[in-house]
Amino acid sequence: MLRYTVKRLLQLAVALLGLTLLLFAWFKALPGGPENMLLPENATDQQREALRASLGLDEPIWAQYADFVGRAVRLDFGSSLSSGRPIATELADRLPATIELSLAAMLIAVGLGIPLGYLAAKRRGTWLDFAAVSGSLLGTCIPIFFLAAMLKVVFAQELGLLPTTFRLSAGSTYTEVTGLRVFDGLITGEFDVAWDAVVHLVLPAIALSSIPLAVIVRITRASVLDVVGEDYVRTADAKGLKPSVIRGRHVMRNAMLPIATIIGLLLGSLFAGAVLTESVFSFGGIGSFVYQATTERDYPALMGFILVIAVFYVVINLLVDLSYGLLDPRVRVRS
Amino acid sequence: MALLEVEDLRVAFGNSTAVDGVSFTVEEGKIVGLVGESGCGKSVTSLAVMGLLPKGRGPKRSKQPVQVAAAEPAGGVVKAAVAAPQAVPATGGRSRGGGADVSGRAVFDGTDLLTLTPSAMRRRRGKDIAMVFQDPLSSLNPVVPVGRQITEVLERHRGLKGAKANQEAANLLDRVGIPDPTRRLKEYPHQLSGGMRQRVLIAIAVACAPRLLIADEPTTALDVTIQAQILELLKDLVDHEGTALLMITHDLGVVAGMCDSVNVLYSGRVVESAPVRELFARPTHPYTIGLLGSIPKLDLPIHEPLTPIRGSIADVIRWRDGCAFAPRCDRVAEACVEGEPALVGSLHAHRCVLAEEIA
Ligand SMILES: Nc1ncnc2c1ncn2[C@@H]1O[C@H](COP(=O)(O)OP(=O)(O)OP(=O)(O)O)[C@@H](O)[C@H]1O
Ligand code: SF4
Ligand SMILES: [Mg+2]
Repeated sequence: MLRYTVKRLLQLAVALLGLTLLLFAWFKALPGGPENMLLPENATDQQREALRASLGLDEPIWAQYADFVGRAVRLDFGSSLSSGRPIATELADRLPATIELSLAAMLIAVGLGIPLGYLAAKRRGTWLDFAAVSGSLLGTCIPIFFLAAMLKVVFAQELGLLPTTFRLSAGSTYTEVTGLRVFDGLITGEFDVAWDAVVHLVLPAIALSSIPLAVIVRITRASVLDVVGEDYVRTADAKGLKPSVIRGRHVMRNAMLPIATIIGLLLGSLFAGAVLTESVFSFGGIGSFVYQATTERDYPALMGFILVIAVFYVVINLLVDLSYGLLDPRVRVRS
Repeated sequence: MALLEVEDLRVAFGNSTAVDGVSFTVEEGKIVGLVGESGCGKSVTSLAVMGLLPKGRGPKRSKQPVQVAAAEPAGGVVKAAVAAPQAVPATGGRSRGGGADVSGRAVFDGTDLLTLTPSAMRRRRGKDIAMVFQDPLSSLNPVVPVGRQITEVLERHRGLKGAKANQEAANLLDRVGIPDPTRRLKEYPHQLSGGMRQRVLIAIAVACAPRLLIADEPTTALDVTIQAQILELLKDLVDHEGTALLMITHDLGVVAGMCDSVNVLYSGRVVESAPVRELFARPTHPYTIGLLGSIPKLDLPIHEPLTPIRGSIADVIRWRDGCAFAPRCDRVAEACVEGEPALVGSLHAHRCVLAEEIA
């Protein structure tokens, strides 16, 4: 397991290095050079010179790259062109909201998707299977933006069951610890805040969970169908074990292997979905920040975003790989 | 009374019949062979007895196929019958879809296993009747330590838990000849050799001292040298514990080496059954004779050709129409396809209309 972990960490370092190279190349390839993109159009030549010098654009290319990596490591992405605040601060302010939303969506997707997929496989060919499969097909083809808007109109605006926007009700006071408000509310004992945060999370999380839920239902169904035909499940049956033991220890423990991989990939892709969901519900996360940065061509902000998301993605994949090693003893030895 | 009495066991997958009226008995403490070529229904028979076949939706027609009086006019009946072979799927493995329709009786110690509820059957499986499968690697769960795969059956049927269960599991591994059992308990199947995996499966099967052990080709997936060891181990265990063993194999050498009696299966039905010595001394059914003729003998000169049975198991006619072996039989006569040949004799029984002439 140790060798496996070290190997994965090395792979992670290589992946991140490749990423900085790509981003650096992109930065250099911006039309008219970076300084054009970083300065307003009516900037003077003096301003340009000053910027070029401060960015080190007159240095040799390797020195520029080293500088770029160095600043990235220190989380120094410069300032946002639109707000003027340091990008690292902007991201740090908004990241917890997106993480909270993504985790909530994933919780829904996993909590519903795995049991549903299991039932669909067990009752293969029945109406339940049919409903689960066609439902998940629907889930993957409804655009998130549309689903989010529909949910908001029906459950928040028409029925008034849930709040339409934001992460907490107006005027509520809240002690920030991690920025994950449900979690913070629970650990500080502000249960009313935690509950308020949950209520605000429900609709956006449901909207965001639609695609991962659909994918998890289908992959679970396929994986369970695969595993129940395996010889070792027949052996478990031949031992006369209770159905619950066969299901947990023999079917699901094996069926989880592909499901775990997919969950990791989905978590990464949730950030993309979060951009749309957050803008519908004015959920102050990183998604709305990116939306704004894109429309205003705020390149430094975008670059910081990409780097942070990429690090997240890579770290999540590392976690998935490690959990895979825990789930499957064969992986530990083989690698 | 015999420990296990299988009577007129029939198993159909949809419209194709895999087992077509098999009857045999296993006496307490005896080793009984079930032989026949691939696809003749050996595994399906054992799975039906164990209650491990996927459940079917029930037969479409009446349960017992109506006996058709095979009174076709004579001339060229054999050819005509061959032209309408029974649908026998060539897929060796278990299909994942349609279930099996099982009928007949499998009386174990006075109870017909086929009438038990699933949960009543689960209480017996692994305890009174246990099974060892063919492929030891795929038959063990790859993500669960072998120790746990043994203790779970001790926990289920003998109520052993924790350290006690672990101790007993180590004893079992020791008994099946695995060195350093305490360390092995923590390992996963992929860390063991093929022979050791089969020993683990055997340990699981004998964990609750079953009265009947079914071994479905337990050595086919192993090296030749390991095969002999595993057979030796099985024989040792059942001799020592007085366990009855139903040995499924297509290897007549295995039968000769360890069985007390043997049933030869052809196309889902027993065609000959006899005590082992008797069968090898006086094989009566042409199929059995063919099987014996297709075993390489070390004492034959090298240029002496083996005599394989011509055709394949797919060339078959329905038993109720005549002898299913007729399309491949050298001695076939018209009498052979005039209805179902009966099983004749008790100690040495055979299902061939010409048996008297052959013997
Ligand atoms: N689940 C299933 N669905 C449909 N047909 C099946 C199924 N299982 C077995 N059969 C068919 O039943 C017949 C008997 O199969 P069985 O596995 O009992 O043969 P076998 O004698 O054990 O052969 P082998 O020596 O290859 O193990 C075969 O024709 C097989 O294709
Ligand atoms: S009944 Fe006829 S066809 Fe069948 S085995 Fe005997 S001789 Fe051959
Ligand atoms: Mg078989």
